[in-house]
This record gives sequence, structure tokens and C-alpha cells, in this order.
Amino acid sequence: MDHPIQTDYLRWIVLLPLLGAGINGLLGAILQRQFGKRAISFVACTPVVISFLLSIWAFINLLALDPEKRFLIDSLYTWISLGSLNVTVAFWLDPLSVVMILVITGVGGLIHIYSIGYMQEDEAYWRYFAFLNLFTFAMLLLVTADNLLLMFIGWEGVGFCSYALIGFWYRDHVNTRAGNKAFIVNRVGDVGFLLGIFLIYWSLDKAGHGTVTFREIETFVPLIKDLEIWGIGVVTLATLFLFIGAMGKSAQIPLHVWLPDAMQGPTPVSALIHAATMVTAGVYMIARLNFLYSLAPSTLTVIATVGALTAFLSATIGLVQNDIKRVLAYSTVSQLGYMFLAMGAGAYSAGIFHLVTHAFFKACLFLSAGSVIQAMHHEQDMQKMGGLRWRLPYTHLTYLVAGIALAGIPPFAGFFSKDEILWKSFSHGLIFQWALGFAAAGLTAFYIFRQIFLVFYGSPRADPHTQSLVHESPQIMVLPLLILAFLSLIGGSLGVPEVLGGSNRIEHWFEPVFGSPGGHENAPVAMEILLMALSVGIGLFGITLAYLIYLRKTLVADTFSSLAAGVPYRLLFQKYYVDELYQFTFVRGTLFFSRVGAWIDQYIIDFIVDGSAKTTTFISWVNGLFDNYVVDWIVNKIADSTFGAGDKFRKIQTGNINSYLYVVLGAVVLAIIVKLRYSG
Amino acid sequence: MDLTNLESLKYFYPEIILSGTVLLLVILDLVIQNKRVLAPFAALGCLLSLGATLQLYGTSEGWLFHRMVVLDNFSLFFKVVSLLAVLLVIWMSVGCHEIRQIYQGEYYTVLLASTLGMFFMASSTNLLMAYLSLELVSLTSYILTGSLHHNRRSSEAALKYLIYGGVASGSMIYGMSWIFGMTGSLDYAVIREVLHQGEANRLTLFMAFLFILSGFGYKAVFVPFHMWSPDVYEGAPTPITAFLSVGSNAAGVAIMIRFFFPAVSHLGEGGNWDFIPGVEWPHFLLMVSMVTMTLGNLCALGQQNVKRLLAYSGIAHAGYILMGLVVLNNIGLRAMLFYIVVYLIMNLGAFLVVIIVSNATGREDIEAYRGLAWRGAAVPATCMAIFLFSLAGLPPLAGFVGKFFLFAAVIKGEFYFLAVVAIINSVISLYYYALIVKTMFLDFPEPTDQEVAMTPTVFPLLLILAIPTVFFGIYWGPLFHYTNQSLGFFIK
Amino acid sequence: MAIGLTHYLVIGGILFTLGLFIVLTRRNAISILMGVELILNSANINYVAFSHFSSGNVEGQIYAIFVIMLAAAEAAIGLAIVLSIFQIFHTIDVEAAETLKE
Repeated sequence: MDHPIQTDYLRWIVLLPLLGAGINGLLGAILQRQFGKRAISFVACTPVVISFLLSIWAFINLLALDPEKRFLIDSLYTWISLGSLNVTVAFWLDPLSVVMILVITGVGGLIHIYSIGYMQEDEAYWRYFAFLNLFTFAMLLLVTADNLLLMFIGWEGVGFCSYALIGFWYRDHVNTRAGNKAFIVNRVGDVGFLLGIFLIYWSLDKAGHGTVTFREIETFVPLIKDLEIWGIGVVTLATLFLFIGAMGKSAQIPLHVWLPDAMQGPTPVSALIHAATMVTAGVYMIARLNFLYSLAPSTLTVIATVGALTAFLSATIGLVQNDIKRVLAYSTVSQLGYMFLAMGAGAYSAGIFHLVTHAFFKACLFLSAGSVIQAMHHEQDMQKMGGLRWRLPYTHLTYLVAGIALAGIPPFAGFFSKDEILWKSFSHGLIFQWALGFAAAGLTAFYIFRQIFLVFYGSPRADPHTQSLVHESPQIMVLPLLILAFLSLIGGSLGVPEVLGGSNRIEHWFEPVFGSPGGHENAPVAMEILLMALSVGIGLFGITLAYLIYLRKTLVADTFSSLAAGVPYRLLFQKYYVDELYQFTFVRGTLFFSRVGAWIDQYIIDFIVDGSAKTTTFISWVNGLFDNYVVDWIVNKIADSTFGAGDKFRKIQTGNINSYLYVVLGAVVLAIIVKLRYSG
Repeated sequence: MDLTNLESLKYFYPEIILSGTVLLLVILDLVIQNKRVLAPFAALGCLLSLGATLQLYGTSEGWLFHRMVVLDNFSLFFKVVSLLAVLLVIWMSVGCHEIRQIYQGEYYTVLLASTLGMFFMASSTNLLMAYLSLELVSLTSYILTGSLHHNRRSSEAALKYLIYGGVASGSMIYGMSWIFGMTGSLDYAVIREVLHQGEANRLTLFMAFLFILSGFGYKAVFVPFHMWSPDVYEGAPTPITAFLSVGSNAAGVAIMIRFFFPAVSHLGEGGNWDFIPGVEWPHFLLMVSMVTMTLGNLCALGQQNVKRLLAYSGIAHAGYILMGLVVLNNIGLRAMLFYIVVYLIMNLGAFLVVIIVSNATGREDIEAYRGLAWRGAAVPATCMAIFLFSLAGLPPLAGFVGKFFLFAAVIKGEFYFLAVVAIINSVISLYYYALIVKTMFLDFPEPTDQEVAMTPTVFPLLLILAIPTVFFGIYWGPLFHYTNQSLGFFIK
Repeated sequence: MAIGLTHYLVIGGILFTLGLFIVLTRRNAISILMGVELILNSANINYVAFSHFSSGNVEGQIYAIFVIMLAAAEAAIGLAIVLSIFQIFHTIDVEAAETLKE
């Protein structure tokens, strides 16, 4: 790691999408008018594809090196040089960031291509692609940045593009509001992130090595290990602050509220930004700073708990949503929870592994959902779908594959990564968190199959007119779907655990970054296999349940009648058993947790977006007093006196040249008097 | 290096080319019927002069013409700045309706002569040269200001400028005569040696400096020598206002640095300058700086005429720039030079948008900017927002970086009160800059408001000014390096 | 009593003050310009006197010649501007030309 290999092509991976964004952003309107939308698509997609190819080249280059030396760097210039603070604009690649750029350019490239078809009808085609490219640039900057400040630029950049794209159809106020909400909630996180950066820099500076560069932080972090402020370790505090930033960006409870609303944006945007890449930035950041987090066990516990709670709570909310994209949104929040659970358990490679597979199957789900939405003429309510299996054969296929992957059924991709996380958290002793994650796995399988059954199976519920117009999407959209579905199918082979005869390649790949995984040797193999079977079992169980309720409808009528009657004694044993379970764990449980979730949603939103007025009358009363009397008074006074002074000063400017000269004379005389008076 | 007249000529190409262009312009004006070629010709002359100036980097430093002017990186820097300013102003003038009413030959001749004066202002090392160069710039400025025929505002502005300038430069040479009397020489180097021997009367010295400052200060627009500027800026043709606000302002700062640093201060350890002991000059400049920025900003607050508003904003910026002088070290000077370049770009840009709007509407008040972005002028409006926010010092624009360096220098020099005043001023200034931006974007145009179209020559210029304003906010390294390098004074 | 440096300086000072007084109080533009000339000439007297009595070189006298030359140039421009003012305002009273103000 000491002598990174200098290269000069990494910059192009990052800068090419910026070039695309620049051309489309500045000249897009003209290009579109002169040469049509094809020119826009060409300008937008080519840089991303080239970036992807370069990323593969970089990956091959890394592969050729010894594991310990897998480290490339491309320094552009010194950005800030103030005293001890030296910040360079440098891109680096190590086994972690190379995986990220492959996902960003690969999945991102597919989504670019898919967007050609999806956005075809939109007038602001060029604006869309300009932002998409700009996003890709910012995301690549975020993951390849070699220091925290540059990373922060990317961090804010992806945020900006995200807000712009959420409110892409800005003529509708709901959309701009959603963009606003994302913006405001993310500010909360950013404050934490910035505080974290400052704290790290400040404490390192105090120890004599002020730096924000990742490698140097890693080198010097032992110096500040024992530093404390207010009785709390600096490292713990900094990591907690940084985690708040990650919570905002990666939509962890209670800062998750913006993500479901973010679904107002175009669906490919949801796929790229709000599922595959941007929202995983928080996970990436923690993985990047793993050397720091490993020194702060209490932070890790917090992360694991927040992650597990998020995974579970948002999965329950996902159960009762009827909007096809909202289900996926809550599912994304829940899956991000898994990744944080992995981070909290110190299983960084498992978390990143899940990030990768999740990028595959969730992007696939979103894009398939987009295909469904377009086929249904922008209908997003699942209650009005159904029976689309034959009308949309490809979409159905890809949705099913990605859905199984999400449900965690072997040998699909999701199984390996999710199971790895659950096993790691269990073997790490996080039993409570494991239990939440385990339950969430069942819920996940249930809601995704509920969705599949509602959308693709059963009898059509759409009105006949819409029904007659349903059609499969064009090839340019189907192709990315198929590729992503294929990846969802085989993606798990990257990390087949050793118990199943694999070699967990991805874990070994990450070893130079995360260190050797511990605890494998003494963990009982039987236990691992048992847990694996359990989680597959609960997944299958969820699917079966969804099947029984939404497709066979055997359970629904009885359940609801029994609920109405209040005494479900008439039922068969087996049915009774399921029924009880369903009632307690799902109906009530769901209702309860949905309420909890909804409560959080409602109040957090209100609190943040609408101000604190609604939370309590008292606060609003005090607030009102303060606003009316103190703030207004101060502001008005200052403003008035400033303006008054301005008006008075301007009166000097009479327009008369004699008076102007008097002013000069007066000032000079005053200066001489002062001089005589005070210096003798 | 101390060269005689003939030897000096080969280091004098920028001035020679510029003078030649001025003379050729006079002749061309008589000979050629198509006056449109004059502007490109003037621009060509400036470009050649710029090339010659850049050529001089790296050659030896020293006195020219028997120690009348000096060739060093500092003078080269201001020559480059003046040439950039005049080139941009020529470009602006081409598309400006006001300028078309003026005799083109005279206009460009006088404009270039003024630039030549700025060259000497930055490089003179002799009290006589300082006066001559200052007067060359002043006289040409009066002509340019009054160049609109039968225009009430233009003539009135010229008269005020003339009287004010006459009194100021008269006071300056009166002050200079006292310096001459005390030192027996007009040569800066000799003056410094004599003054630092400490025999001169401190009070006389202070008063002489005060008189001299009236001449320098009126060029660089410091309170209380600023009174002419709002009226003149409002009355002059807009490109001339732009030229005065950046070019002659920068030259005023240059002549002032040249006089108060290499001429009367000693360069001490670590880039600190030692002023003549016993003269509380830095404290006086500190007060001037604070009053200048505060007064400029306060007066700009309620201003309805955008040109006048920019005049007041220019006064405020002169106050910011003066902060770098107060700290008496190279850090401050470097920050000043940096800010001058940044201010040149962003202020010219703001005036360019004023020209675009007044070309289309004939108006200069804020009302004329109502909903500008929605009246076919989205690009000028956006650029204007960039310029104004940069003037206000918002990141990530160049103005922020410039202010940052100035504030950093002041804080490093432990003038905390000055820093606080400057920061409060920046906040106040944000109000009136943002008000224009708000008018352009958030107010919707009335049906009576005309569409604002751009002439094709203006658009590239707008980009040429807007892009550096953003670019230097993100990547200022080279510019910083350049200004740092420009801080070389030839002192013997 | 021998006429020395001080006498010249006092004359210079009086001239400067008179010039300033004229500039401050006169309304007529031509008069104001004449006041400026007085200020310039007060400096000239100083230069010549210092040159003769204390510096021992002719720099000051050269300076005075340059100032006289520049004063002529300034007067030329000043008169042109005053003429232009007269054409527009039909007076050369500076109080008439007060349209540019707050």
C-alpha cells in the first residue's frame, strides 16, 4: 500500500460522464432540436460505456497485481493548500472502489440505455440525460475520491442531481415538494457528515498530522485512538457523526422519510439513484472508513441496531403499500438496513457484497416496474393491475427472477449476500439484530411476491381501455432488463460461502481493504447451515403465504370473516395455525409496525418540513413569541437601521461638486486633528 | 540594472506598440471611411502589446530610462491586467449602442492612451512619472466620460470628474512637493533611504502622505475621495464606467502600492514591510478601509439605478482591496493582486449585462431587470447571477476565494476588528446583490417589458467572463501562483 | 531680511489655500478651474523653491515645467467640457448641473 501505482486513465473514468453532462447541459437544447433525441442519447451513453470499459481495464490491471499492492492512484492537482491542510484532487482505486465503479458504470450504463426508451416521449430529454450523466460523474467522484473533502463534493453532487431528478417533472407541485423533502432531510445528515470530517481533521491536526486523505487517516489513526472530548472517544464521536450523514443519504430510520417520496422522479432515476447507487453511498463511506469504525465498537453496535430496525420496520411498511414503486422504495430502505447491519457486525465485505447484488436485482425490479408502469399508461396502483403475465412476458420473467433474488431463495444472487449478512451478525453475537433481520427476510419474500401476484397474475383489474393498450416495452428497454435479470441470477456466485463448497471470492478480494475475516474457524459449520436453511425456509414461507392470500385467496375470506366474528374456532387446525400466525404476526403486527412507521413518517416529515409547530402547541407558542418579538424585532431593527444609515449616507451625494470637495476637506482636516490629538 | 534611454527601448516594446497603435489609430481615422475596422485594429494593437508584455517575463528586472520607470514582475502584472481590461472593454464597446454615437476614432485612440497611462502608473518609480502617468489616465478619463454628444448626464459627469480630479491631483503634487523638499529627490529609492534615516518631521510627513493619498485615493476610489464616482459612473457610457471601475481602479491601487511599499517602506524579514516609524499610516489606512467598505455598501442598499449601485459596490470593493494594504506584508499584497484580477472579471461581467439590458430597453434601473430570465435573456440573467454572487463573495465563485485570501491576510495580521467589519459588510452586500438576482428570476415580467435580445458578439464575451468567475472559484491554483509571482519589486 | 525658503513655502501655502477656497465656494465652472490652476501653481512654487534652496539639483524645476504643461492640457479639456455643459444647460453654473445625485 505504500507505493501506489500512478496512472493517468482513472481521471477519464470519472470525467467522461462530466463531459457528457457538459455537452448535453450546455448544448442539449440545440442538439435536440437540430439532430433529434438520438444525438442526445449518443452523447449521454457513450461516455458511460467508455467509463465502464475503462473500469474493466482498471479491474484487470488490479487483478494482475499482488493482493497487497492492488492500489492505483491518479493525482490531478493540489486543490487546497492551507497550512497543514493539503487536499489534492486525486482518484484512487483499490479492491473496494473498483467494485463500486464497476457497479456504477455497469448498472448505470444499462439504466442509461433503458432510459433511451423510457424517456423517449419527454420534451426535456436532454435535461434528463444531462442530469443522469452529472449524477454518474458525481457518484464516481464520491467512490474514487482519495480524501474526505473530495468525497464530500461527490456526496453533495449526487444529492443535487437526486433533488433535480426527483423534481424532474417540476410542473407538478407534488414532485417539487418531494425534491424539497429529500433536500431538507439530507441536510440533517450532511451536518453530521461535515462535523465528522471536521472532527477527524481537527483531532489529527492536534496529533500533528492534520489530513483528510483516507490513506493518511488510516496511517495516523492510532494517534487519536485515545483522544477524548466530553468523555467520549473522538473516534466514536466522529464515526457517529459520519454515520448520521450515512443515515441521511442511505435513508436509515428515522431519516428514511425522503426515499419513498423520491419515487416521484422518473423510474430509471429511482433505479439508478434511489436503489442501485446513490443510496448506497452511506454504506460505501462506512466501508471506506472501516479502519476508523473498527476502533469504535459502540458506534458499530448503534449501526447494527439502526440497520436491523430499518430492515424490519420498513419491510412491514412495504407489506401494505399499493403503489408499485413505493413497495420497492420501502424494500430498498429495508435492504439498505441489511447492509448497515453487515457494517455494524464488522462484516464489511458481506455488506458490500449485498450492495452489489442488491444493485443488480433492485435495479432490475425498478426498471421492470417502469416497464409495467409504461405499459399501463402511468398507472402505479397495483390494485388496478393483474394478469399482465402474458401481455408482458419479458418483464414478467425479469421481475420474477429479480423478485426471487430479493426473496433470498438459492441459488439466486440475493440469497448468498443476505445470508452472509445474517450469519455474520449471528456469529458476531448480535442476536437481537439477527432476529429482526431474519423476520425481515420473511416479510421481504411476502411483500415482493404479493406484488408479483398482484401485478402479473390473477385476473386483470384495469379498465378495458387501458387493458387494450398494454404492450411490451421496446427492445432497448427489454435488453437491459434481461442483462440485469441474468446478473441477479448468477451474481451470487461471487461469494458462495465455504460451507457450500464455494470459496467466497469476494471476501478474499476485499481482504487488502478490510483485513482477513475472523471467526470463521471456530464457528460451528452445522449452525451456519441450520441458519441458512431457516432463512430459506422463512423466505419460502413468505412466498407461500403470499401465494395463498393473493393468488389462491383461500385465506383472505376466512381471515376477514373470522376477524369480524372475533372467534375463529370453526377453522381447521392447519388453517387455524396459519391464521393465528397471520393475524398476530401479520395483521396486528403489520398494523402496529405500519402505524409505527407511519407515525415516524408523519411526525418526522412534519417536524422537519413543516416546522415544529405541529409537534406541541407549547413549542409553537414559544416559537411564535420568539419569532414575533425577538427575531422580528432584531431583524427589523437591524434592517431598518442599516437601510436608514444607507439613506443618510447617500444624502451626502447631493450632486453639487462644491459639497463633494467640502467632504474631502472635512475628512482631511479630521484626519489631521486626530493625528495631532493622539500622537502628539 | 540601470539603463539609459536607448538601452531601455528593447524592454519597452509593450508601451511602444501601444503608442504606435494610438498614433496609427489617429491616422487611420482620417484615412479610412469604414470606421468599423478601428475597433479590431485597436484590439490587435492591445494583443500585440500583451504578447510583448508576456515576452518580457523572465528577462532581467531593473530601472529604465534613468530610473524613471521600473521593469519588474509587479509592473508586468498590472500591464497584463490593464490590457485585459481594455481588450474586454473594446469588445464590449463593439456591441454597445451608446458607443456608436461617439466618433469611433477618437474613442479608441483615447481609450488606448488611457491604457498607456495605466502602464506607467504601475511602473513609475519617480514622483514626476507618477504624476504624469496619473494625469495621463485622468485626462483621458475625463474625455471618455464626456464623450457622448449633447448628452446631459455625460457632460455633467465629465465636469464633476474634471473638477474633482483636478483638485485631487493638485493636492497630490502639493504633497509630493513636500516629500521632495524633505528628501531632495524625486526618485523613490532615494526617498526611501532618506526617510528611513528618520530626520523628517513626522507630522509633515503624515500630512504629505495625506495629500498624496488624495490623488491616489481618488483613482482607487477610497472614502472620502470617492464622491465623484457614483455620479461619474452613472453618467459615463457604460463600457467606460466598466473601464474606470476596473482599469483605473486597479492602476490607482498599483501606484499606491508602488509608492507606499517599495518607495517608503523597507522589506523586512518574512515578507513584512516596515513603515517609517512614528507615522501611524497603517492605522489611518485601516480606518479608511473600514469606512470605505461600510459606506459603499450602505449607500448601495436602497439604490435603484444598477449602474449607480455597481458604483457603490465598487467603492465597497475598493475598501476590501485596501484591507490587503493595511497588514503591511506580502500576504496582504498578494491577496490584493488576486482580488484585483477576480474583481476585474466579475465586475466587467456585471457591466456587460447592464449593457445588454440597456441596449434592449434603454434603461438602467432595477425595474428594467424584472423577470429578465423569462424575457429571452436566460443566459445573461444566469451570468449576472454568477457575477453578482461572486461580487458578494459566495462560494464556489471566484469572488469568494478572493475575499477569503483578503480576510485570511487580515486575520493573520491580527486585525480582528477589521475582519469582523469586512464580514458584516459582505453580509450587507449580499442583500442588494441578491435583490437584483431576485428581480431577474423570481419577479415575472409585465406585459410591457420588452424582450431582451443579445447581439452575437456579446454571447462569447459573456461566457469568457462567466466561466473564469466559476473556474477560479474552484481551481485558483494557477492564478494564485501568478499573483504570488507578480509580487516581485525591483528594489535596490 | 533675506528672502529664504520659508517665504516661498508660505506663498505656496497661501496660494494652495486660496485655490482650495475658490474651488469650494465658486459656482462658476471657469472660476473653479482657475482655482485648480492655483493649486497646481502653489505646488510649482514649492518645487522650484525646494529645488533652489535645498535639493541642489534641477529635478524640482523640471517638475514645475511638466506641471505647467499638464495644467495647459487640463485647461484645454476642461474648457471643452465646460463648453459642452454650456451648450446643454445654457449656463456654466455648477449648481445647474446637479441632475446626477441621489
